[in-house]
Amino acid sequence: MDYSIILKIAAIGILTAVVSQVLKNIGKDEIATFSTLAGVIIVLLMAVNMINELFNAVKQLFLIY
Amino acid sequence: MDIFRIIGIGLLTCVVALIIKQIRPEFYIVVVITGSIVILFMIVDELRIVFEYFLSIFNKTNLNYELFSNMIKIIGVGFLTEFANGICVDTGNASIGEKVVIAGKILILCLALPIISSLLDVIIEILP
Repeated sequence: MDYSIILKIAAIGILTAVVSQVLKNIGKDEIATFSTLAGVIIVLLMAVNMINELFNAVKQLFLIY
Repeated sequence: MDIFRIIGIGLLTCVVALIIKQIRPEFYIVVVITGSIVILFMIVDELRIVFEYFLSIFNKTNLNYELFSNMIKIIGVGFLTEFANGICVDTGNASIGEKVVIAGKILILCLALPIISSLLDVIIEILP
């Protein structure tokens, strides 16, 4: 569990912002919103995985079944 | 025990969260959650050492094991409640964090009931 995942999430955030900006300039607004949505969903999935891992560790450590 | 790594990661999370807040506001809270999880993972090992030490002491007393596991669960509930409350306050809605804290307190109270009853039994034995 190293700190690289924080930077990964930041990178995905910046990438999503850039992609949606570019798509807006081309004129495809609806695809831009979809790309933003996709970025948010990916990041949320990563966060949910992290939370799941934390809860498993806590269950094992604190004897909470 | 590498407190320097923990502080470094904490500050890194704050900086990254601020940067991301400007670019994409929705990702701010995800960065905060991830950072706090990474930090919590770093102390899980030390916590296990502490609990093993307490278990070895507890085995010397002839109390039943359920009291000790309840005590550990209480610490676990407090641990998670603090984690959730911190994140709720960070997003700005402290009221939800307050609800989580109240629920955690009630759960801790429920877990503490057996310990209280065994304490009363001991006291009753002592009284003449």
